[in-house]
Amino acid sequence: MKSIRVIIPIVSFLAVSIFLYKGLFSDPTDIKNANVERQFPDFNLPDLMDENLFYQKDSVKGDYTLVNVWGTWCVTCRVELPYMTRLRQEGVRIVGVYYDNAADAAFGEVNVEQTRLEVKQMLAQLGNPFQFNIYDVKRDLSLDLGVTGAPESFLVNPEGVIIAHRRGAIDERVWQKEFQPLLNSYSNQAKSQSN
Amino acid sequence: MKEFFKFVIFITSVFASANLLAVEENYPFESEAKRADFEALVQELRCPKCQNQNVADSNSLVAIDLKNKTYQLVQEGKTKQEVVDYMVQRYTQFVHYDPPVNHVTIWLWIIPGFICIFLVLFVLKRNRTESGSQITDPHIREAEAIFAELEKQSQLKANSNTTQEVDK
Repeated sequence: MKSIRVIIPIVSFLAVSIFLYKGLFSDPTDIKNANVERQFPDFNLPDLMDENLFYQKDSVKGDYTLVNVWGTWCVTCRVELPYMTRLRQEGVRIVGVYYDNAADAAFGEVNVEQTRLEVKQMLAQLGNPFQFNIYDVKRDLSLDLGVTGAPESFLVNPEGVIIAHRRGAIDERVWQKEFQPLLNSYSNQAKSQSN
Repeated sequence: MKEFFKFVIFITSVFASANLLAVEENYPFESEAKRADFEALVQELRCPKCQNQNVADSNSLVAIDLKNKTYQLVQEGKTKQEVVDYMVQRYTQFVHYDPPVNHVTIWLWIIPGFICIFLVLFVLKRNRTESGSQITDPHIREAEAIFAELEKQSQLKANSNTTQEVDK
């Protein structure tokens, strides 16, 4: 009986300490994206450069595709363009979702011609990693994807399921750690199936 | 000249406040019920980008989009719960300031209640042991005997002291 009286406060103190200690190192901005392991949302949106060309969900299916939400107004997006261009050269399929600055858009219609010009200049300067760019006109696709800002990237598998998500720039470290292993396991699976 | 400046300041402040009203009018509603729903929703929806700000207070890009989407959904006649579900489906439970009771969050309600009950029981038990007399009659008699003995001794001591002082 007496030993229980001593143990109870010690155990509860330890439990509270561990709980608070873990809180010291938890990142409050690290919120899991709701769409991971779900199907890529449906959409019907025009090409950034050609308003008569439309893309649907099938456009990001079929092969492993990195969908990158970006905009010319976003500084971090500039940083990741050169590395992603290298990824494209290594054979990774990258599709852009162009995300207008909502604060600018709130002032009225965005000038698409101006945007196209800026995009062309920026990609010419820093490298073009994109097979094509989907223009998210009303940013509904970004909202369906649970995007909180730019850049954000989603890795979509051939069946159209989002298997990885990254908030912020993609650099070599992030790619090797979070994305490459998923692609490797896929190519291993494909090999074992063909055998 | 001074009068003229006063007039200019007056006019500019009138226009400045008109501007503030215009911001509110960005989201016009035809029915008061819908306006109330919208106001309540932007208060209780949390901005996914910024910590500890709701959608109404935040000016981040995503908050602007969420405000617009909330407006659109309310205008389409969606109920408050439907709008919340729409947002939670895309932005997880993080986006709502009123989390649901489930097998994890239930502990937030159970543990404080449990601690309260425990403390009440603890205090009650302690009171009972203190007031409830466990001293039996033989003990009392024994104690009285000791007291009597002590008193006798101290009286003897006192007497001997006084006699000593007299001797001196």
